[in-house]
Amino acid sequence: MTQLSWFIALIPAIPLLGFFLNALFVKSEKANGTIASLAVAGAFGAAIAAVVGLNGLDEASRQISIPLWQWLAVGKLDVTFGLYYDPLTAVMTLLITGVGTLIHIFSVSYMHGDARPRRYFAYLNLFVFSMLMLVMSDNLLVLFLGWEGVGLCSFLLIGHWFERKSVQPGIVPSEAAAKAFVVNRIGDAGMLLAMMLIFSRYGTLSFFGPDGNSGFFSRLTESSFTMVNLGSLGTISVVSGIAFLLILAVVGKSAQLPLFVWLPDAMAGPTPVSALIHAATMVTAGVYLVVRTHMVFDLAPDAATWLTIIGTMTALIGATAALTQFDIKRVLAYSTISQLGFMIAATGLGAYTAAMFHLLTHGLFKALLFLAAGAIIHGLHDVQDMRRMGGLAKTMPTIYRVYLVGAFALAGIFPFAGFWSKDEILVHGWFNSQAITTIVVLLFSSLLTAFYMGRQVALTFAGEARDNELKAHEHLGSMKWPLILLAVGAALGGLMNLPGVHTLHDWLKPVLHEPTELYTVGMGIFAAITTLLATGSGYLAYRIYSGPALIKIKTGEEDPAHYYLGDIWKGFELGWGIDYVYQRFIVRPYRAFSGYVYEVFDVQAIDGILVEGSARSVGAIARLKSQAQNGNVRTYAFVFLIGVVLVVGYMVFGA
Amino acid sequence: MFVNQLGFPLLSLLIGTPLVGAVLIGLTASSARSLQRTIAWLFSSINAVLAVYALTALQPIGGYQFVESIDWLADIGLKYAVGLDGINVWMVVLATLLTPLALYAARNESTHQKSFHALILVLSSALIGAFVATDLLLFYVFFELTLVPTALLIATQGTGDAKAAALKFFVYPFVGSVFMLASIAGLVVTHFQQTGLMTFDSVIISGAVLNGTLVMDESLERLLFAGFFLAFAVKTPLWPFHTWMPQAQVATPSNGSVDIAGILLKIGAYGMLRFALPFFPNAAVWAAPAIGILAVISILYSAVIAFGQHDMKSLLSYATISHLGFVMLGIFSQTIEGITGALITMINSGLTTGALFLIVGILAAQRGSRNREDFSGVWLTAPTFGTLTLITVFASIGVPGLNGFVGEFLSMQGAWLAPQLGYGYVSFAVIGIILSAAYLLRMYRGVFMGAAPEEHAIHEPKTSEIAVLSLLVIAMIVIGLYPSIITSVSNASVSELVRSLTASSR
Repeated sequence: MTQLSWFIALIPAIPLLGFFLNALFVKSEKANGTIASLAVAGAFGAAIAAVVGLNGLDEASRQISIPLWQWLAVGKLDVTFGLYYDPLTAVMTLLITGVGTLIHIFSVSYMHGDARPRRYFAYLNLFVFSMLMLVMSDNLLVLFLGWEGVGLCSFLLIGHWFERKSVQPGIVPSEAAAKAFVVNRIGDAGMLLAMMLIFSRYGTLSFFGPDGNSGFFSRLTESSFTMVNLGSLGTISVVSGIAFLLILAVVGKSAQLPLFVWLPDAMAGPTPVSALIHAATMVTAGVYLVVRTHMVFDLAPDAATWLTIIGTMTALIGATAALTQFDIKRVLAYSTISQLGFMIAATGLGAYTAAMFHLLTHGLFKALLFLAAGAIIHGLHDVQDMRRMGGLAKTMPTIYRVYLVGAFALAGIFPFAGFWSKDEILVHGWFNSQAITTIVVLLFSSLLTAFYMGRQVALTFAGEARDNELKAHEHLGSMKWPLILLAVGAALGGLMNLPGVHTLHDWLKPVLHEPTELYTVGMGIFAAITTLLATGSGYLAYRIYSGPALIKIKTGEEDPAHYYLGDIWKGFELGWGIDYVYQRFIVRPYRAFSGYVYEVFDVQAIDGILVEGSARSVGAIARLKSQAQNGNVRTYAFVFLIGVVLVVGYMVFGA
Repeated sequence: MFVNQLGFPLLSLLIGTPLVGAVLIGLTASSARSLQRTIAWLFSSINAVLAVYALTALQPIGGYQFVESIDWLADIGLKYAVGLDGINVWMVVLATLLTPLALYAARNESTHQKSFHALILVLSSALIGAFVATDLLLFYVFFELTLVPTALLIATQGTGDAKAAALKFFVYPFVGSVFMLASIAGLVVTHFQQTGLMTFDSVIISGAVLNGTLVMDESLERLLFAGFFLAFAVKTPLWPFHTWMPQAQVATPSNGSVDIAGILLKIGAYGMLRFALPFFPNAAVWAAPAIGILAVISILYSAVIAFGQHDMKSLLSYATISHLGFVMLGIFSQTIEGITGALITMINSGLTTGALFLIVGILAAQRGSRNREDFSGVWLTAPTFGTLTLITVFASIGVPGLNGFVGEFLSMQGAWLAPQLGYGYVSFAVIGIILSAAYLLRMYRGVFMGAAPEEHAIHEPKTSEIAVLSLLVIAMIVIGLYPSIITSVSNASVSELVRSLTASSR
């Protein structure tokens, strides 16, 4: 192995080591936090070294495979447990370990005094390891290992406070954890089917193969026009079939319509977990998957269209739901769903670089917002309801400033990070893809984004404290520097891919092969209009909620907009009622159905009539035939006889 | 008479050792409880060592090894013939390893300790016999013999309606296997008519099928296949022949459950693989779509029922039936991937479900109830136990990196590749992985998560039980990350089997 390979292998190895140290040996809270943070920081160091090393290679050879051991070798199936490193993986590892390190450090103060810090930090390291395996795998099966691994860690961390009966706003942590896992499994089933279809067609699950040219990517064109007959469902090309199955996986993991219902409840976990897993990294795995397998979607335009539709609708639903929440974390949760919709829509339009760009900037500013929200919750001793806040700008000045940066970035206001990345998605859609409807909906969603952030900032920070029982204080400890560094990232993240400079674009070019974007005056005007609109929308919301609407904001009372919009507002608040529909029409009926199948089918029909009924009738015949001394033995003998008679009779007469 | 290359009858020793132990236990006084435990544990451990030795001595090539063949009734061609290959060696290893583990972790839950230990040893002996027998009639004898100790175990020491459960446990599989006996008779007679050789030797008969000296006409082959199928489908159990199983499980003492779920149920699937396929390759292909549908129904139907079960043992029984649906799907794919997947799923089901039955046994012993609603927050008061259970649960759900995934993925991949099955079956079977997450997490969430109750809090189990669970968990992780430990041994035998199936089916 070369030196570069060693650095690459170290990236996932150090967090894994940290997990084992904390899980098996280390008992003190302080040491747990330190080890976990150092492990991720070490991985970040290795990731930087690996990027530098990769940068030193010429563009064509920037893909490195490191086979570790043969995982599954049965029949034609031969899967190597192997790592893969290319520019796309490189940016993902930087994001995961970089933001991950900050969140670990933040957690040291945030989780101080928790009942189970050891488990918390062990899980967090295990999560970072799994997420790294997801992005560093050289084949779909190992990717799936990471994919389900992050799901498992998400389960563990959502359920970190599993003994609590309810956390704000009325979620049962253990229930939310199980819900997240089961809903994700629906997507995972799609992923499994995709893998089986790929293997049955191409005989391999490797992306590129050991020589870089023998994986299934290079063979996709072989069967892009092979049609499969699905009976009454019509026909579909093999590649489209793969693409649709992958979409199912994406919809589950990246919380898209109609499977996003688990993400708002996932906020039951500690807030740093929401920042790391349910905003910056795990939920973006779906976007990564689409970008990684972009060859599939390039050959399956029908599936790509669906990505756009799903992403756009999710962006809109998420934004409208975020608009109406009073729980500070739930606003951000729905906002994450909405932003993921932006990314998925971008991948559907073929704007892979733009999607990755938004993934990275979103990772920075959404992690910042969640951590800052966490710091607020911490400072208010576990109050999450924004109706009880207000006036925090005075008592929490540092948090206020960084929160503003995050809000500006998310709202897409010039020159913060989100402006550049969101603009690139909109510009690509408007000018390159001519997808006008999509862009209008996305644009509207982004105005809503600015609006709900303005509302949130007003409710939280503006005016006077509404609840005087709360002793608001700002005591950051180790939480301070992660916030400040992330704020710097959220402010300057756009530098990654400035128009005309396009660093990220060039870096990803060996993977994505997208043509260099030429910036025109028209695009500049478009960008200026969108940011002006966003600023106006955000300012409007701030004025409304820090001015005339403020007197109506009381604990337990509805938002003033509810008065005007009524049930529409209520519907937004419930995420368009999708979760309710599932509860009402799937979960509860399934519970009843389960009991029904058991009682009626299993006990009464199969066992009662078929099994015992036939036993009784055989017994009855047997009793007729003889004076039974021992009924049971007679029965067996009789059945035995019937069998022999049947077979012998057949052999005599049939043969 | 022929004895294997080792120079000593390894397989007969494997069958005989537990029997000797059982006899010795029979000679002890009923009050000598620790002596009985020691004997049981000692003899089953010797057997485990022997099995591991057999595993290491086995060459990774096709065909039976360590063969012992002794004429028994030469006139009718009956032999005492046993052999080991890359497939059944795993069944033997599983059977011999789980028995001492279960005994070691056993609490004194039984007032009939003497008979409990003796019966478990007899069961272990009969199971090993059934797995290594290559003579059909000998297999049949061992196959039936497994029923006797188990039925006695349930009848004398069971809970609830034990007598009825024992009767059903005995009668139902017995009736099923009678059809197999008839089929064996039919097969042997047909073979005799066509070749002039009277034999029960499965190697000779499947060889004759392969090279065309034994040709059955279509309807005869299907009829004989049906006899085998019925016996094994009941034993497996496959929907709708499964109802005896949850009832028997619920009535069985916990440590016995480990053996039943862990090993006993695998005889059915094993027999399907070892006998029904190679004897009747055409009928197996013909019947595969129908059996595939039964397998998919097994997977989904049992998963739906498991979700609503309150008795955790009953829940796990239905979970087992669900897993065995994947086994059937893999076997009848008749591909290397599918059959290997079935083999690994059988092993997994033994390890994982065995561990889960142990866990329920531990919980029940402390609380006096198996109803999942009687528990809450066990993870708080027994953190190590809770974590080991968590890993076991996720292994059973089929999370990659743990053993369950490997088996289920290969079974489904095999079914997808099989021309007689295909993606339609897999598209439904895959729903099983969602439902299994639903029912197992519902159980785990209710029992281990939530607040700990004031009274009846569950405390950490004995060190011996933690040790046993830890060993099982380590095995789950090893198989999950390095399944070659199994496939390197089984690949040659499975490939040979699949080759012969494709060659002999028309």
